Amino acid sequence: MAALQHLVNLIAGPEDIGRSRWFWAAFAAVCALLFVNPLWLTEFEATNGAYYLLNVPIALGLGLLWGYCGILSFGQVAYFGIAGYIYGIVAGNMVGDATGPIIGSLCGLAVCGLVATIFGYFVFYGRVQNWIVPILTLVLTLLLETFLGQTAGYQWRVGSVQLGGYNGMTGIPAFQLGSYVVMGYGFYYYVLIVVIATYLGLRLLVNSRHGKVMLAIREDAIRTELLGYDIRARQLVVFVLAAVLAGISGLFYVQWGNYITPSQVGLVQASLPVVWVAVGGRESLLAVLLSTCALNWLNYTLSSEGYQYALIIIGALLVAVMLFFPSGIVVTLARDLPRHLRTLRGQRKGEVQ
Amino acid sequence: MSDQSKSSQALGSDPLSKSADAPSGAGTDRRNALKLMGAAGAGLAAPGLGATYLRGFEYTRSVQAQGSSPVKIGFIEDESGNLSVYGIQKLHAAQLAVKEINEGKTLKGGPDIGAGGLGAIGNVAKKPPTISKEGVGLDVVNDGGEKSTTEVVFDEDGDVFVDSGDKGILGREVSLVSVDGQSNNALWQQLARRLIQQDKVDVLVAGFASAEREAIRPIVDQFKQLYFYTNQYEGGVADANTFCTGPVCEQQVIPVVQYMVEKFGPRGYTLAADYNFGQLTAAWTKAFAPLVGGQIIGEEFIPLSVSEFSQVIARVQQAKPDWVMTLLVGQNQQNYYPQAAAAGLKFPMASTVNMAQGYEHKRFKPPSLANMHNAIQYQLEVPSARNRAFVKRWMTMFPEDQYIGEMAQNTYFTIHLYAKAARIAGTTDQEKMKKALELGWSIEAPEGSVFLEPGTHHCAHYIRLAVCDENHDVKFVRDWPSIQAWWLQRLGVNLVRHPEYKQYTPDEDPYFKMFLKKA
Amino acid sequence: MDSFATGVSIIYQFATNGAFLLLSALGLIVILGMMNIINLAHGELMMMGAYTASIAWHRGVPFWLCAILAFLVVGLFGAALERTIVRRFYGRELGALVVTWGISLILSQGALMVFGPFLPAIPIPGGSVGLGQYSFSVYWLTVIALSFGLIAALWSLYNRTTFGLQARAAMQNAAMARALGVNTERIYMLTFSLGAGLAGFSGALFAPTVSIAPFMGQQFVAPAFITVVVGGATNVITGALGSSVLLSLVKTPIGFVFGAFVGTVALLLAALIIIRLMPDGISAVIQRQVDRRNRFA
Repeated sequence: MAALQHLVNLIAGPEDIGRSRWFWAAFAAVCALLFVNPLWLTEFEATNGAYYLLNVPIALGLGLLWGYCGILSFGQVAYFGIAGYIYGIVAGNMVGDATGPIIGSLCGLAVCGLVATIFGYFVFYGRVQNWIVPILTLVLTLLLETFLGQTAGYQWRVGSVQLGGYNGMTGIPAFQLGSYVVMGYGFYYYVLIVVIATYLGLRLLVNSRHGKVMLAIREDAIRTELLGYDIRARQLVVFVLAAVLAGISGLFYVQWGNYITPSQVGLVQASLPVVWVAVGGRESLLAVLLSTCALNWLNYTLSSEGYQYALIIIGALLVAVMLFFPSGIVVTLARDLPRHLRTLRGQRKGEVQ
Repeated sequence: MSDQSKSSQALGSDPLSKSADAPSGAGTDRRNALKLMGAAGAGLAAPGLGATYLRGFEYTRSVQAQGSSPVKIGFIEDESGNLSVYGIQKLHAAQLAVKEINEGKTLKGGPDIGAGGLGAIGNVAKKPPTISKEGVGLDVVNDGGEKSTTEVVFDEDGDVFVDSGDKGILGREVSLVSVDGQSNNALWQQLARRLIQQDKVDVLVAGFASAEREAIRPIVDQFKQLYFYTNQYEGGVADANTFCTGPVCEQQVIPVVQYMVEKFGPRGYTLAADYNFGQLTAAWTKAFAPLVGGQIIGEEFIPLSVSEFSQVIARVQQAKPDWVMTLLVGQNQQNYYPQAAAAGLKFPMASTVNMAQGYEHKRFKPPSLANMHNAIQYQLEVPSARNRAFVKRWMTMFPEDQYIGEMAQNTYFTIHLYAKAARIAGTTDQEKMKKALELGWSIEAPEGSVFLEPGTHHCAHYIRLAVCDENHDVKFVRDWPSIQAWWLQRLGVNLVRHPEYKQYTPDEDPYFKMFLKKA
Repeated sequence: MDSFATGVSIIYQFATNGAFLLLSALGLIVILGMMNIINLAHGELMMMGAYTASIAWHRGVPFWLCAILAFLVVGLFGAALERTIVRRFYGRELGALVVTWGISLILSQGALMVFGPFLPAIPIPGGSVGLGQYSFSVYWLTVIALSFGLIAALWSLYNRTTFGLQARAAMQNAAMARALGVNTERIYMLTFSLGAGLAGFSGALFAPTVSIAPFMGQQFVAPAFITVVVGGATNVITGALGSSVLLSLVKTPIGFVFGAFVGTVALLLAALIIIRLMPDGISAVIQRQVDRRNRFA
């Protein structure tokens, strides 16, 4: 019981926005709302909503890596793509076998972890400077995209699954639990549960001892090392964790759309998680979660209403946010608004007197 | 020579110095919670709220007279982003076609007629020659009318744009529900779902790149949506829900290679974009060149991101071919033409992609595209009377447009074809429409007579060989009035009897390996 | 004669590859290398230069004047950008990254909406010279020479002029420079403006060889960043020169023998390895050699 209490205390720790009882009540209410949503949503709306949610893990991973550990990786989408492709290959070859998707998912995440470990070792144990990491990860992403893009020939076939080059890998099976195929409303719940669990889990992590060390590394890596912590190993662990989270998003994506192409690991896609995290505020997991959903929703709504201005609006939004809310919209609001309101209230009280 | 010490603010410093403030986790109070809940609730329930609003919209629309509900054509193209130069053309084509249908116009054509059949406009000579048999040989009694001076075999009638006798489709107005894919595959998937599941469009016309088509085909198949893909592509799609009205490899590669071999010699060198379309088309070129007397002596596959071609040019010069097959796609790769011209490359070029879609001969200065040959099914400069009328109609509606490309014309006649099929079917119900489209349709498109084959769901096209000269003027030197999309036929695809939902690749064709061995 | 021609062709390819990298990186050398602004709108600045050149050329302006016009126009735009937005991001590199990404979206999409999908092309000036079975573009030969000339000019600007001295001082220690009477605000603005102008100039130089379209800048972004980062900060100008030579040295023979795809992959791999082994860039390694020699001189 004490362990559970400790766990709960950790989750409600200070390293993210919101810890009062009111916050958690609100959080529970929103979650309940989301669970009950499908009652009045059509299947399309539910799966569309799931699409916004499925981008959250990769953003959370980047938020963790960048906001809490101080390392910007421009190449999270590489793991998104790796997980998607591996799942497609494994599950595609195990069509008809009900355990196919589960094994495919595990394989996808495992390969993500493996590649991240190797690449991370290359980067962190080489003690490259922090600002070089974005460039290195970007180059990795470009390499992967170039490689995948030329796999169009039919010799690029693993088992019965074609990689397909820029046409993409099509016919990727949906996720299955036993004999239940996870689609439509089921898919919505599947993503929702994993996202909430991920958020809480990450919140637990950043408030724990390990989280504190991560923050110390972000603040001053040399000092932390002098205090006796092996920063290279810790950075590597966080990097791998972020990669696995990106992989989870990749898995969701192919299980949603049954399709993946190399453009998912291209330059434009690589910058999207950075944008989501920057706009929300990288120092808070909650901010990242909210901004990811909001920006995806915004992009979809603008495009589907036929606005040619969609990209311009998003560009202008980015500029405005970075100018006026440098720490991110949600973080700034969470921090400053209560203060302003309190000042206003205090002023009014003063006037009355 | 050092001009900066390491402690400078330049790249040596740590750019990740933390900003002074951090979120205060402590003491967020009720107000904050409420605000966050508001934000969270709004943000995360937005799909619900937004959807409710949208659905309200739907509801009011459906409350209007049921019988007069419009026929919805769902349309996804890239109006922004990298592929917008093609997407905007196709959008205009769709808008023109919808306007003409709503005004009660259509193109001539009909079902059960087939290429060269009754309703098609065939070989009409003013005065046909008269022949009789004398002894061993044949004697020409009468030479007939004037010989053609343009080498165009089919003398075409200008008036194929006629009244349909209908206002819209079956009395219902046609409305184009068009959305912008932004050259972003994930967005295409979302938009396809929206058009199919939410807007419940009667037909979907979408896709430029094969990647976009393959992204939405699973969704199309899941919901059994009637879908037209109007673009040129690498061939092989055998899908009972999909009708491909663009030209495929066998209709363009073989004619142009045959012409190049006859005119310039047997040795060809291929430059292809390094992705599916480029690789497959290059495979076709390599396999079929020997059958028309040619030989591909070298191939180079260029990644889509490359835009600087001096090395490629040097390799071409080293190989010394008789002609070069350029299958270059995308804005970066088109830079090959001015660069090659500047480097003094004088080899005649052949292509199945350039000129007709991205109008390179209008965008690049002469003589970049000099001596370019393309076996096209349509481009703006097609000289027939019916095309001149079509271009005039188009430019009246869109005077700012710079070009009408191959895919735009395909979109145009496809939508007209859909309207005609709906009138014969008497309904826009999708399953009945698919059956109606399998009647064997022929339609008089601006390119010429086009025949939609029932079994393969592909079109037989009118192919012309276009040559671009040093002034970037285009002339047409050879016609093939009808080339079928025979490859899927050879594979035994018959979607009328055996519905399928896949895309075939050349390695599934046993004959391809035979030809490759000879090559 | 044949192998001599082939040899000349290889040298020509090597020079064009190197010039391509160097020109792509030109504006970024100043903005990223000296001011530490991660400018993701670099491609769009080059696009603006190309657009300016195209519009001017089609009004009858001679080509070399178009290029200079591009330099001025984009330079002015850069100054405006610096005044309004960029100056708030000194020291906040990742903020600069995001804000310049936003600017690049606005510029490229705006160009599409205002000017349409294409602008009319500029024909490549000059003809070609032949040697054996190969022929070389006179324009590219000029551009190669010009790129080295520009680097030399940039170097002398920063090392031989008062402005250069003040600029280096401001970069090294702004407070001290200000105390010594240097107007750092003006220096920053001028430097950023110079970087933008150079990007525009490069864009104008590339304009005849590429299709002038709203998204044409994207093809230069990755090569530019890789070149500058591999070059390193110790001495940005000579570093960029060194890195473009080195990377081109890797790409050219591999690309010639194996084709463009392998050449591109080789370039990316080489960049990855070099950055990993020499995190401070090539210029740092060269600097250490020079210091070592000086110490024992």
